[in-house]
Amino acid sequence: MFDFWLHILIIACIYGMLALSLNLQMGFGSLLNFGHIALFGCGSYGAALAFTQQWGLLTGLLLGIAFAVLLALFFSRLGKNLGTDYWAIATLSIAEIMRIVLTNEVRWTGGAQGISGLTPLFSNLAYPTSQYARLALMAVLLAATLAFCQLLIRSRLGLALKLMREEPNLASALGYDLETLRRTIMVTGGVIAGIAGFLYAHYFSFVGPDQLLSTETFFIWGMVIIGGLANNYGVIVGAFILQIVMANVPFFRALDLPTDFVSAARPFLIGAGILVFLLWRPNGLLSERVAGKNV
Amino acid sequence: MLQFAADVLVRAVDLALIAIALSAVYSLIRFPNVAVVQYSVVGAFLAIAMQGAGVPLLLAGAIACLVVAALAVFFNMAIFERILKIGSANALIASLALSMILSAIFLVAFGSQPTRLDLPVSRAINLFGARLTVNQIYSVVMTVVAIGLYALVLFQTPLGRQMRATATNAELAQATGIDTRRITNIVVAISGVLAAIGGISLAVKGAVSIEFGTNMLLPVFAAAILGGLGNSMGALAGALVIAVAETLVTNVNFGPLAGQSFFYLPANYATTVSFIVLVAVLLFRPRGLFVSGVNRV
Repeated sequence: MFDFWLHILIIACIYGMLALSLNLQMGFGSLLNFGHIALFGCGSYGAALAFTQQWGLLTGLLLGIAFAVLLALFFSRLGKNLGTDYWAIATLSIAEIMRIVLTNEVRWTGGAQGISGLTPLFSNLAYPTSQYARLALMAVLLAATLAFCQLLIRSRLGLALKLMREEPNLASALGYDLETLRRTIMVTGGVIAGIAGFLYAHYFSFVGPDQLLSTETFFIWGMVIIGGLANNYGVIVGAFILQIVMANVPFFRALDLPTDFVSAARPFLIGAGILVFLLWRPNGLLSERVAGKNV
Repeated sequence: MLQFAADVLVRAVDLALIAIALSAVYSLIRFPNVAVVQYSVVGAFLAIAMQGAGVPLLLAGAIACLVVAALAVFFNMAIFERILKIGSANALIASLALSMILSAIFLVAFGSQPTRLDLPVSRAINLFGARLTVNQIYSVVMTVVAIGLYALVLFQTPLGRQMRATATNAELAQATGIDTRRITNIVVAISGVLAAIGGISLAVKGAVSIEFGTNMLLPVFAAAILGGLGNSMGALAGALVIAVAETLVTNVNFGPLAGQSFFYLPANYATTVSFIVLVAVLLFRPRGLFVSGVNRV
């Protein structure tokens, strides 16, 4: 049981990073990114490619980040002259295109079977220690990402982002280039998501197209909305809560419920969670802090 | 060549009604309501379930349409009207959440196995050299009639005039005494009916599974956006363009390009094409292909 919780906490840390990166884009930049999982996939497939070509861990990480940066740049180029809702659908389709291409280009990606056997991190340590080391690493990285995001939103860039979100016309009148702002925040969020993808690939030692289904994007969305849009601590809380709830869903099976019920539980809980919070608590568990106060 | 046209027509019919429903709602409520695609699944499953319970098919279809229309109006009043006050982005997210809930409910209620209407399996007949099954022809006729009726309502009746007036300028419409909230809910109900007919016409042609909502989502959006969201007759043209693109890609021999005698793209790439068309249109004609024309509903 203890091993199980260790495992859940490690994954929750990775999801925490993903939620932070989406929060930068959605919470502060109000960019409706429905293809966030594709940025994560850049990281995981970068790791997988480096593994199959035996290029080493560091190359895998850099490759993943490079893919994520390119995709984020493409996302922001697409957003140049699109309204929010059009852009949201466009990002969703790009994520789907990427997933279908990855499923079909079997030579590079292993197709639907994916690529397995990636070297787990700290595999040279003995069993319980290695798992503790992984948790420590993920926790440190999550804390570092949190600190980075906090610094970022307090910097000039963060203030500019908030201004762009609230009053885009005022922001451009004050001389901010909205396009550059959006691009910067897309790439920053993309790099964090790519790193999270790399870590995920090397934790599970498996990369496959099913990890990139668009429901996974909405899973991250759920974390951000339930935790609290534009509150970095909130989205981490959201990530841990959702991850812990979802990890316990398979135990419903013990109640003798049909299998379909168990597989429907995940989308149902995510959808219902998002809807309930949007209707009755749109600011999430921890709302955004403005001038030292929760709004 | 005629076979190609027939394939295009059958595929376009899949997309057209749902895309028109999506566009019609968007023209009044300015956010893309993803749940409309799930409404069509609801329609198809309800009709199948009722027919299984012994209701004659036509009656089952009609009841399914009415139920979906009522559901659409209910969700609009209970969820979207409230959330739209916060912002259209939130409404878009809410519609996604709603479709996840709906598909989860249907997974529990109907299982993951594909189900179908109880129709006689029809032989393919030869129509001017193109092979079509009788059920495919039924589904084409159903769709054409539904679109025709919708166009008739939209362009020839006082109700249609009010709908177009509300879509063009809601405040002005309200000032002239149109009850815009009522009109909006009527359009939502009509879109529910159209989506349900779209779903049933898919079920007439073949088996329907729980994934069909997810699989239809992006092609339908591609068609609607191509025609310019909010322009329902544009959505019809969009559906045709997407159908042509998808059919071309899987039927054309790319061998000469690849330096081989035969090279066909995997059928899985058919849907990808509609997404690529969508992304390309958004890159170069961000408001859709048909928006520069008369700005009607």
